[in-house]
Amino acid sequence: MEIYAMMATHGLVYGMLLFMVASGLTLVFGMMGVLNLAHASFYMLGAYVAYSITVATNSFWLSLVISPLVVAIIGIIIERFFLRKAHSRGHVAELLVTFGFFYILGELVRMIWGSNPLPVEIPAVFQGEIPLFGGTYPVYRLFILFFSGIILLGLALILMKTRVGILMRAAVSDAEMVDVLGTNAPRLFMGVFAGGAALAALAGVIAAPFLSVYPSMGLDVLLDCFVVIVIGGFGSLFGALISAILIGELHSFGILWVPRLAMIFQFLFMAVILVLRPTGLMGEKE
Amino acid sequence: MSALTLEHIYKDFSGLQVLTDISLEVEEGERHAIIGPNGAGKSTLFNLITGQYKPSQGTIRLMGRDITGRSVHKIARMGLSRSFQVINNFPKMTVFENVQNAIVSRCNKRFNIASFLDRSAKIHQHTEEILHSVGMMEAKDMTATELSYGWQRKLELALALALDPVIVMLDEPMAGLDVEETRGFMELIRSLTHGKTLVVVEHDMDVVFSLADRITVLSYGGILITGSPEEVRASEAVKNAYLGRNAGAAGGK
Amino acid sequence: MTRFHIFRHGWKVLGAAFVIFLPLIVPEMKVHMATEVLVYCLFAVSFNLLLGYAGLLPFGFAAMFGVGAYAAALMFNHLGGAPLVVVMVVAAASGLVSALMIGAFCVRLGGTYFALLTLAFQMFFYAVALKWRSVTNGDDGIPVMRPELYLPGFGNLSLMNIHNLYWVTLFFVVLGILAAYLFLKTPLGNAVVCMRENEERAAFLGYNTYLTKLTVFSFAGLLAGLAGALYALFQEFVATTAIDANMSFAVVLMTIVGGTGRFSGPIVGAVFFMLFQDWISDITDHWWLYFGILFIVVVMYLEGGVSSLLNTSLIKRLLGRKALE
Repeated sequence: MEIYAMMATHGLVYGMLLFMVASGLTLVFGMMGVLNLAHASFYMLGAYVAYSITVATNSFWLSLVISPLVVAIIGIIIERFFLRKAHSRGHVAELLVTFGFFYILGELVRMIWGSNPLPVEIPAVFQGEIPLFGGTYPVYRLFILFFSGIILLGLALILMKTRVGILMRAAVSDAEMVDVLGTNAPRLFMGVFAGGAALAALAGVIAAPFLSVYPSMGLDVLLDCFVVIVIGGFGSLFGALISAILIGELHSFGILWVPRLAMIFQFLFMAVILVLRPTGLMGEKE
Repeated sequence: MSALTLEHIYKDFSGLQVLTDISLEVEEGERHAIIGPNGAGKSTLFNLITGQYKPSQGTIRLMGRDITGRSVHKIARMGLSRSFQVINNFPKMTVFENVQNAIVSRCNKRFNIASFLDRSAKIHQHTEEILHSVGMMEAKDMTATELSYGWQRKLELALALALDPVIVMLDEPMAGLDVEETRGFMELIRSLTHGKTLVVVEHDMDVVFSLADRITVLSYGGILITGSPEEVRASEAVKNAYLGRNAGAAGGK
Repeated sequence: MTRFHIFRHGWKVLGAAFVIFLPLIVPEMKVHMATEVLVYCLFAVSFNLLLGYAGLLPFGFAAMFGVGAYAAALMFNHLGGAPLVVVMVVAAASGLVSALMIGAFCVRLGGTYFALLTLAFQMFFYAVALKWRSVTNGDDGIPVMRPELYLPGFGNLSLMNIHNLYWVTLFFVVLGILAAYLFLKTPLGNAVVCMRENEERAAFLGYNTYLTKLTVFSFAGLLAGLAGALYALFQEFVATTAIDANMSFAVVLMTIVGGTGRFSGPIVGAVFFMLFQDWISDITDHWWLYFGILFIVVVMYLEGGVSSLLNTSLIKRLLGRKALE
């Protein structure tokens, strides 16, 4: 019995991490209509920058602050100077631009940090395990849970209570709202884009000690995130939360039951959802 | 024989009732106009018949065959073609190529890999016939986007007719044309749809009353009246629905 | 005949002659490279059937390529006596079948869904290739013994001879590219394009858009499978690199850099891709990065790709503007 509770918690941890990354992705898609493939690179960059900062300063906490900032700036540059220009050329061109950056950033990382996985140490205060579910459970994973929970709360508060949040929700549910927003729209988009990038980077930072840092981590999280937002519905934050946790659990139990092809479960699940409800569980009905 | 039959059609979108209990019969060879104030549900009805939407309830029959819920392309192949209110052609293809696309479908060559399109004499011939009939031969090598608005409307008509359909459905075929062009266009439609069944959505009352054999008036998603132009013209209910518009007098919108 | 016409047709004849007699003109190292270019030419042309003509962008196109490669490798190893043509046919058929399976599901959903779902499928195939060691040998890969080819009149030709391999590859690549070219001239080819132009109208004209897309996707998969088999032959080795994300991305990059708007675009792209790799990797290991940068430049500023540069400005400059009148 303990093993199931353990696996379920593992699943929840990974699910919350996925949610942190997928949330930015689905919001940007909902608002701007483009699936930003480079978003996965933001996650990866977050982890790599954290690695370097931790190596240089021996402080994990510093990287928690600096890494998202650095990545957010990169995100702003990409949005402002590239994506915005590609917008007039249609969705395919936009998708290709994000793909180009996903690709370049992947190669850049390989160039700067090499192709081998890099270890990031769990900060001392979170090392070790505590008693849970009759066994012991790594403290760090509980930290991830706690931290991502706070982020989730923060996101919910922003979306529900602040003016910016309300504008964002409006822009997601009605693309025409964007025109009504007038000159504020570009700034809002840039803000959401940068915010999403920072969030992805943050996820990368806290995932680094947990999942280790390697060049194709971007691709792996991209595919998982894609499954998450396909199931949860493009543009739906709540849907992303539910499906991220679902995918996390499928991942966890998949590894338990069918270790060699764990991805088959989420794959099949996505296939079933797409057949039954092409717009996802929570997505907009076309 | 009835070309198009609608039996107790209902359509709602997530709770919003757009069409209520629509029943209609269009005879073969009949020219039928559908009119009504904005928001009455004309477009929805059109889209239902052509297969873009599925009715929530009710049946639609084409030449006696049930087409309720069938896919758009199947219905087109069964002999029902349409034109669009908003120009909807193949923008970067030439006029010739545009019509040719329809002819290929009509000649059932959509999946043909046994011949070269350029060398297909039959397809070439049919395409030119259609272009002649609408008077667009001189523009055949022009790209669709290069055409003037009037010519684009003609192309819309040509695309609908090229399928050699049993029923032609035209959605505001003369939208945006001036009075002169409208007159000419109306005669074009009249001559080209001779012998075919025609269903037209229109706002221009002159056109409606001179072209249509029978008229259906929609209002708030329901049918007010279906009848001859005289019956419709005389109907109090229709006058009320249009709230002071002169149904039958000059001018339309 | 104007100067321009002579130049244009002369250029084609010269080009064809160069390609055919290449092994006799060019140093052996370059013949190896040319053989690899041929493989990528076919791969890119099949990809562009989807992107440039059908308007479908599959991010996971290496799935069909890889399936063809593995099919060929397995046949070469387990059915060593099978004639080369049979192996090629089987590989192409594998590409077709895998495309049918993936396409049946993905084609219904357009755009972004399609792009990423094909990637998800390809990653799934990759995972299978990686884990199913008993058949695929995982990431260690399957070595491929190039067979001998019996040609009446020529006897037994060893494909270990790079000249022979080049010509055999050339034969199949030309066949594949010709098939793609002719396909586009048929009514079905026209249907594919008209669907890209206006899918809604095509449906109202009676076109079954799902089946049409599935057909072109399967055909592209067939050609990609063939390219994969030729890749197996060339590399003498098939591992998960034939079916991974990198291979999927490579064909996206090279085709778009070459230009999706014309038939020759992907061919130019494949050639350019190899030449670029050859030149830049002398300077740095990270030529991928620079190609990626070039890719973004093309997407943002050069819609017709490199091939559009070749067609207009080069010829204009060589002949003077009058020649084009």
